[in-house]
Amino acid sequence: MLSISGFQKAFEYIDLIKQGMICTLSLSALTVLFGFILALVLAICRLSNFKAAKFLATVYVEVIRATPLLVQLFIVYNILLAGISLPKFRLFGFIRFERFLPGVIALSLNSGAYLSEIIRSGIQSIDGGQTEAARSLGMTQWQNMQLIVLPQAIKNVLPAIANEFVTIIKESSICYTIGVQEIMYGVNSIKGATFSIGEPLIIAAVVYFCLTFPTSKIIAYFERRMSRGDRR
Amino acid sequence: MVTGDRLIQVQHVKKHYNHGAIKALDDVSVDINKGDVMVVIGPSGSGKSTLLRSLNLLEEPTEGSILFDGVDITQKYTVTPEGKKVKLDINIHRQKMGMVFQHFNLFPHKTILQNMTIAPIKVKGMDKAQAEEKARALLARVGLEDRADAYPIQLSGGQKQRIAIVRALMMEPEVMLFDEPTSALDPEMVGEVLEVMKELAASGMTMVVVTHEMGFAREVGNRVLFMADGRLLEEGPPQQIFGNPQNPRLQDFLSKVL
Ligand SMILES: Nc1ncnc2c1ncn2[C@@H]1O[C@H](COP(=O)(O)OP(=O)(O)O)[C@@H](O)[C@H]1O
Ligand SMILES: [Mg+2]
Repeated sequence: MLSISGFQKAFEYIDLIKQGMICTLSLSALTVLFGFILALVLAICRLSNFKAAKFLATVYVEVIRATPLLVQLFIVYNILLAGISLPKFRLFGFIRFERFLPGVIALSLNSGAYLSEIIRSGIQSIDGGQTEAARSLGMTQWQNMQLIVLPQAIKNVLPAIANEFVTIIKESSICYTIGVQEIMYGVNSIKGATFSIGEPLIIAAVVYFCLTFPTSKIIAYFERRMSRGDRR
Repeated sequence: MVTGDRLIQVQHVKKHYNHGAIKALDDVSVDINKGDVMVVIGPSGSGKSTLLRSLNLLEEPTEGSILFDGVDITQKYTVTPEGKKVKLDINIHRQKMGMVFQHFNLFPHKTILQNMTIAPIKVKGMDKAQAEEKARALLARVGLEDRADAYPIQLSGGQKQRIAIVRALMMEPEVMLFDEPTSALDPEMVGEVLEVMKELAASGMTMVVVTHEMGFAREVGNRVLFMADGRLLEEGPPQQIFGNPQNPRLQDFLSKVL
């Protein structure tokens, strides 16, 4: 089924894969950014003494974790944003914004829930003595969180957050189903032009591997270095 | 002591855990006067830490009141001298009570200088340059001026505890609370920390010290409290507590530690 000439034909459309790569990376980076902000809010709500906030945040995280990403994506695209007409322009000259944005929102809502668990465990791993010292110096609960606990907690979970970035690069492929022009969308376009799916799929797999494998290795390297710094 | 010199009044304080199954504090009352160096001794689990932590409300008493400068800090509201009811801000009161912990609790992500200046700057709104100048002066006082830019992990236990003491002093507290400040130290480092505490006592600082260092209690303390089972069983000047103990539990305790 695969053939040299098939790859040659596919490579004529390699720009579609390149564009897909740019789109996948933008999608993933924005998702980590917005997901992280959402995760901070969720984690703080879940650890707060404010019962309603705690309850709502817990329900949110559990619902997200118990439903498929594909369903969440379709709900965001077909229900949440159905009535809203998004501005139609193209990012980098080719990414259709009205498809891209729902993808970013759905992925962020999803990864926010997972990241919040990471951040929550990071906060909980900080010794209670830190909070006691901060409070005994007269810091408010929020000052303690912002100046003492969060900086340490986030530094501890930075590798886990970076790993989430790698996961999102892979999972973002699902956004091709709503027409976001990421790598899998490029594969589909090449299939339409060459009537052959095998070669572009192999190319996509290689591209994904080249994006995620080195990233994981770099994270692992910094993780080792950081823990060495702690033992200094 | 004159009654006007009272700084902290602990009145019938109880602290229960597990719905009363554990009575960490069982009706404790004591007055702490300005200039007191009050040493709290007693077996492990007798409620010493709980009492100390109740003083700045790190632990909220189940019952009873704690008056600081005449203000009941266990209440949500307080009445001003003008008769106005205002919300009580515990953070204001905590600034007046420095606390030193067994495990130092320095902030590992901050340098020594930052450890000392963060609260004065963020809580009191002190000018950064002014805070740093003050910090350097205090560091010199404990012989650690050359470690200003080090991180806590680079210091020995004794150095960390000296930093913890001056970090608390940065807030210019009216009283310093010590919870077993030398218990986590290697024996050769105990002396350097006790030395700083002695100097502090000599400077007139009001201190409440939970410790197993009986030498320090005898030499520096003006009052010794003996606690067991969440209760204050005996209180008096060191000569009396160590020389002529009355309560059998105290006699037993002293026979084990001396
Ligand atoms: N958070 C808590 N939950 C349950 N029991 C506690 C808690 N904190 C302290 N206690 C109990 O209260 C008692 C007094 O503790 P503590 O004040 O730490 O004693 P000490 O400092 O004299 O060793 C102990 O029996 C301890 O187990
Ligand atoms: Mg204790």
